[in-house]
Amino acid sequence: MAIELTAGPDAIAKVLSDVIAASKVDETEVLFSRSEAALTRYTRNEIHENVIEGDVSLSIRAVVGKRVGVASTSRLDDRAIADTLARAASIARLSPEDPLFPGLPEGGPEPQKLQNAHDAATAAASPDDRAAAVGRIAATMQRNQLHAAGFVATRSDVVAIANSKGTRRYFESTDASVNIKAIGDDSSGYAEGFARALGWIDFDELAAVAAKKAIDGRNPEPLAPGAYTVILEPPAFREFLGYLSWAGFGAQSLDDGSSFIAGRIGEQVMGQNVTIRDDFTHPLSPGIPFDFEGVARTTVPIIDAGVAKDVVYDSYYAAKMKHANTGHALPAPNSYGPLPLNIVVDKGKRSTADLIRSVEHGVLVSRTWYIRLVDQKKMLITGMTRDGLFLIERGVVTRGLKNMRFNESIVDALGRCEMSDELRRSEGMVLPAVRIDGFHFTSGTTF
Amino acid sequence: MRFEAEAKRALDTATARGADYADVRFGAVHDEHVEVRNGVVSGLADSESFGFSVRVLRDGAWGFASSADISDAEIDRVAAKAVEVANASAKVKGLGISLAPAGKHIDSYTTPYEVDPATVPVEERVRYLLDVEKEIRANKGVTVGKAWIDVWRTDKTYASTEGSMIEQTILQCGSAVHALAVGNGDAQDRIFPGTCGLYQTGGYEIVRKAKLLENARRIGEEAVALLTADQCPSGRMDVVLSGDQVSLQIHESIGHALELDRVMGWEANFSGTSFATLDKLGTFRYGNDRVNVVCDMTCPLALATHGYDDEGTPARSVDLIRNGVLVGYMAGRDTAHVAKVPVGGVVRSEYWGRLPMIRIGNVNLKPGDTPEEQLIGDMRSGIYMESNRSWSIDDKRLNFQFGCQIGYEIKNGKKTRMLKNPTYAGMTPAFWGACDAIGDEKSWVAWGTPNCGKGEPMQTARSSQGSSPARFRDIEVGVGYGD
Repeated sequence: MAIELTAGPDAIAKVLSDVIAASKVDETEVLFSRSEAALTRYTRNEIHENVIEGDVSLSIRAVVGKRVGVASTSRLDDRAIADTLARAASIARLSPEDPLFPGLPEGGPEPQKLQNAHDAATAAASPDDRAAAVGRIAATMQRNQLHAAGFVATRSDVVAIANSKGTRRYFESTDASVNIKAIGDDSSGYAEGFARALGWIDFDELAAVAAKKAIDGRNPEPLAPGAYTVILEPPAFREFLGYLSWAGFGAQSLDDGSSFIAGRIGEQVMGQNVTIRDDFTHPLSPGIPFDFEGVARTTVPIIDAGVAKDVVYDSYYAAKMKHANTGHALPAPNSYGPLPLNIVVDKGKRSTADLIRSVEHGVLVSRTWYIRLVDQKKMLITGMTRDGLFLIERGVVTRGLKNMRFNESIVDALGRCEMSDELRRSEGMVLPAVRIDGFHFTSGTTF
Repeated sequence: MRFEAEAKRALDTATARGADYADVRFGAVHDEHVEVRNGVVSGLADSESFGFSVRVLRDGAWGFASSADISDAEIDRVAAKAVEVANASAKVKGLGISLAPAGKHIDSYTTPYEVDPATVPVEERVRYLLDVEKEIRANKGVTVGKAWIDVWRTDKTYASTEGSMIEQTILQCGSAVHALAVGNGDAQDRIFPGTCGLYQTGGYEIVRKAKLLENARRIGEEAVALLTADQCPSGRMDVVLSGDQVSLQIHESIGHALELDRVMGWEANFSGTSFATLDKLGTFRYGNDRVNVVCDMTCPLALATHGYDDEGTPARSVDLIRNGVLVGYMAGRDTAHVAKVPVGGVVRSEYWGRLPMIRIGNVNLKPGDTPEEQLIGDMRSGIYMESNRSWSIDDKRLNFQFGCQIGYEIKNGKKTRMLKNPTYAGMTPAFWGACDAIGDEKSWVAWGTPNCGKGEPMQTARSSQGSSPARFRDIEVGVGYGD
């Protein structure tokens, strides 16, 4: 049953099938993952950390009646795999029954194929390729008398799943990203890029964006706490939506009542111009076409024109709550239940530039930091701005501002907002910039 | 020692490829997690991982590579790859890296423990958690009850081209209960012990002394009572923080601020930098005279305690704040010389496959001389806050806002009505300057934080912040809920 570290899809599929065949329990699921993650990190225009991390995991979920056990290993030899199978079975046998456990999911429909998920050049990107990109960023900074900190990263991943109900899944992908914080004497500016392929990222353009923010933000002034119209650029908006989706868009929080949506499905909970879905098929999304139980992911409308439509489900909560399984399981076991991993927000009709022109007196937010949930039911969050906060006066960005703390209900804020007409990928999400009126800044800091 | 031959092979390969310095770490990680949620076992998992990593320095530039395959061919490939990475780093280089001396150490270390977790059957852990969780939901108003136990064992071997060879076994355990109550248009959480459980180095005795069963019912009742408790008032007032909340305050506003890599800008794009810049060392007033903070990697029970860190530096205690004045940083071999401070054994990685970096170790606030009951007994009015609910601080560690799970109004030296959603905010030096009493040694606990995030690719580390309850005067309270 051994798996070679460089095994291809057929060899991996055979081993997963062999594990299932060797299993003596009622049901068996095998989840295999392999990754090579390379990241070149720089500060003060020079590389200070540079890594290539290789990892592999084989996780087995064993089911005895309604008893479940999970064991995993990074060793892929015959003995280790057999031992892991035995440990999973042993754990399952001593686990009490979970009367709600529905059994492993059936294979179901074939997942949708994704185009361009794997780029051979990105998988083969060398340390020199990443260093060259850092060198270009550093050159932009030096031309502008700035320095920068950030990273250039590439990765390749394989995930394969098989279970005793006939499920067989395999997916390989690549991803690339760049993170640029341009730094001046008393200001900083941020830009980021994400793509399936390293060659799709324009390092020079992003470095210029970050540098311009650092230059425009010089001599920042303090801002008085209060309610302002803000424009949140995609990296800032993404941090907001991350909390919304974690605390509100999964079946577990709907079931236990802690989600702001609980008891409000079908109600208008946000503005009519807000539509949010989980959609791994979006061309900019880094999605996987099946979940960690091997079930085909579906596109789930979560907020439709401001109305709470649905949340995402895995096999457990689908059975418990008598709802269709949407294919959003996380690897077992997990404490959070199913979660959306590919949030897409519909764009609006006006450009970000037009949204800025529409603001009489407000604030442009490039990036946020350390957001935490203060009150889950109200979706009240607090956090800080960073790396590019600007005053907008009569539709024009006029000066840099010192960073501010905000306390704001995300749900309430999305009741008085307008999206821009440009979608960007930020981490795993695809979203526009957003204008929010009456956004509450509560205090400032010294920089 | 384990992996001695493999370590020699990796170091020889790296040296032959041109490395000026190399170290290698082999590791075996075994994590066991048992979790019960609303009467059923929601998580029963046993994970293990094995592998190694090679870190090299060439021409003053770092390279690092890792793999889960401990075979001769893969050791050769990964060691060569680490040198290739270092060569690429050298192409975009400034002054270059130099290392403070670490000495040559041939040694072994094992976490002291009383009860080997391997002698406690998983069935016993499951039965215990089922009993505990049932107690949480003794109050029918509890929506979700959860209880869990973690047992973590790490075996690792470190070797370097400087001749060190160190073998360690680190044992860490933790457990907690969590009650969620939903109703009255609200959702309220209570966790015990502390903010996220009691996590320390040691054996299964750490789980037993947490006293989950004895406290589970109270925690459930408190979660339910919070749904109808009065809202914490807003304004400036005196506060007393529980020891575990002080622990998180230390973690965020002292621990991270005094990581020397942050001070030098190495985390500028992600975790941030620090207001505690090098020019402040030795003179900056960080807090009241009563505030004395050390990073003690030898502290018994504390979650980060070990014999050596992941770059072969022995564990030791380093003063960070003495009588309220900044006197030190947490430093690694590649940063210590910049601030002219000692290395402290704080460079750690999440596991064998990740790059070691400066991590908060055991950052302890030394106990004061005030008996715990006197912290409140001396007060005419104020707010007592316990156990963290939310935490946020700016990327230089100055402006912070924390929320706690439960509060009580203090009137004439006594805790009175329960308050929900207590929050407080401030600026770091002013806040520590407002500390006018620290609980005595009897109330001091080595609180562990099992999930600190830092670095890119991001790594999770286990830190500790020993603390007593403490009192702070004239603090902004109720932020986020006031006008």
